[in-house]
Amino acid sequence: MPNLRHIPALLIALAASAVAPAAASATTVYAASSLSKVVPTIAPDARSSFAGSDTLAFQIEQGAPADVFLSAAPLYAERLHAKGLCDTPVVFARNTLTFVTPASNPAGITRVQQLDRPGGYRLAVGGKNVPLGIYTRTLLGKLGLGRALQKNTVAQYQKATDVVTAIALGSAAAGFVFTTEWQANRSRLRAIPVPASAQPLIRYVACVVRRTGADTAGARSVITRLQSTSGRQALLAAHFDLPPKP
Amino acid sequence: MTIATGIFRGLLLLAAIATFAFLLAPIAALLLQVPARDLPGLLRETAVTSALLVSLKTNVIANLIILIVGTPAAYLLALGRFRGRPALLTLLELPLVLPPAVAGIALLTAFGAFGLFGTALADAGIFLPFTQAAVVIAVTFVAGPYYVRAAVAAFASLDRNQFDAARDLGAGEGAIFRRIALPLAADGLRAGWALAFARGVGEFGATLLFAGSVERITETLPLAVYAQLDVNLDSAVAVGILLLAISGAVLLVAKLPPLWSPTRTSTPVGGW
Repeated sequence: MPNLRHIPALLIALAASAVAPAAASATTVYAASSLSKVVPTIAPDARSSFAGSDTLAFQIEQGAPADVFLSAAPLYAERLHAKGLCDTPVVFARNTLTFVTPASNPAGITRVQQLDRPGGYRLAVGGKNVPLGIYTRTLLGKLGLGRALQKNTVAQYQKATDVVTAIALGSAAAGFVFTTEWQANRSRLRAIPVPASAQPLIRYVACVVRRTGADTAGARSVITRLQSTSGRQALLAAHFDLPPKP
Repeated sequence: MTIATGIFRGLLLLAAIATFAFLLAPIAALLLQVPARDLPGLLRETAVTSALLVSLKTNVIANLIILIVGTPAAYLLALGRFRGRPALLTLLELPLVLPPAVAGIALLTAFGAFGLFGTALADAGIFLPFTQAAVVIAVTFVAGPYYVRAAVAAFASLDRNQFDAARDLGAGEGAIFRRIALPLAADGLRAGWALAFARGVGEFGATLLFAGSVERITETLPLAVYAQLDVNLDSAVAVGILLLAISGAVLLVAKLPPLWSPTRTSTPVGGW
C-alpha cells in the first residue's frame, strides 16, 4: 500500500509552485507569431508568449503579465498606447507580402491577375481584422483586384501560420503570406511575383507595457537590443526588412 | 450518524460545491459580459446567422453518422470475443488525446489534396478541404470516439442471460439487437451521445485546419466566435452564449427520460 499521507503536502507544494511567478527576473515578451525565431536570439533570457498581435493586445488589455509587446502592425500597439497601457510604440522591422501557391502549383497559377477570373480558385488569406488580412486587402486594392476575394472561394484565418498550412498542404490553390513565412517554408511553397509598387507598408512595432509591477527596465533593454546591430542582423537573418536607423 | 460519517458527508458536500463553483463561474462571468437585451441585436448579424446554419447542418449530419455507424460498431466491440479487443478499444480512443489542431493536420495528411488518399479522392472528383463535407468529417472524427466509447461500455454492461433467453425463444440476432440490447443500453447511449454532441458542436481546431474558415460554407459558430473576437468582443461573447444555449438545451433533452419507450425495463444509470 503506497503511503498516502504525503499527498496533501505534495498537492499544496505543487499548487504553490504553479501560482508563484516563475523566475521573477525574466522579462516577459508578448510577440507576434512571425517573430518566434527572432525573439529567442535577441532576448534569450526572456520568457516569450507568441500569438497573433490582436490576441496579444487583447490579453494585455485583460491584464496579462507582459512587459514588452512586439506587434506585427502599429494598430494594436497604438490602441494600447491610447488606453495608457503601453508607451509610445517604435518601429523596429518591416515585412512584405508574398503571393504563393503550393510548391507543385496544381492550379497552374502564374500571375496574380488570374485571381480576377469569376468562379476562380480556392484561396487562403488572413481574416479581415488581423494584420495579414488587412495588408492583403490593401495589396489587392492596389493591384485593382479589390473584388478578388468575392470572385474566388476564400478561407480566412486569424493566424498567419494557418494560411501557410492551408496552402502548403494543398487545401488552397494560392494565398498571401508574409515574406518571412514564405522564406521559412520555401520547400513547400512557390512564390509568384507581385509588383513591388503594390506592396503595403508593413511595420513591426515594439512598446513597453505599462502596468503595476512591470519589468520596465527589462522591456526597454529588449527594445534596445532589437534596434542594435546584432538585433538588426537577427531580423535580417529571418528575412525581415529593416526601417531606417533611428 | 457517527461523527466520522458526518465529516465524510461534509467533505463530499464541500467537493460538490467547489466543483459547481469552479465550473460555473466562468460561464456566469460570460453571461454577465453582455446585457441580455443586447443579445438579439448582436446575434442578428448575418455572419452569425450563416454560421449557425452551417453548425446545425454539419452537426446533424455528423451526429447521424456517429449514431448509425458507431452504434453497431460499438455493439460488436462490446459483445464480440476476440483477441486484441483491449488494444482495439484503445486505438479508438486515440483521436481523443490528439490536440484538435493536430487532429486537423492528421485529417489533412489523410484526406487533404496532398494527403494519403488525396489523389484517389481527386480521381473520383472529390476535393474535401473548404467544403461542408470536411466539417462533417472533422466533427465526426473528433466527437465520434466519445460516443463509441460510451456505447461500448453501455452494451458491455448488459446482462447476457437476457440475450440467451431471447435466443431460446427463437429471436434472431437482429431482433435481439433491436428489441433487447438497444432499449436496455439506451441510457448509456444517450449519455455518450450527449457528450459527443457537446464536443462536436464546440469543435474548433480540427475544423479550422481541415475544412478552413469559408464564410457561409465551413464557418461554424466556434470559428465565427474566433473571427468575431477581432471585430467586437461583445458579439463574440454573444455567439458564445448562443453556443452554450444550444448545447445546454440538447444536453438537457438527452438527459430527460424518454417518453417514447414505454417498455423500458432498465434502471436509470446513476441516481445516487
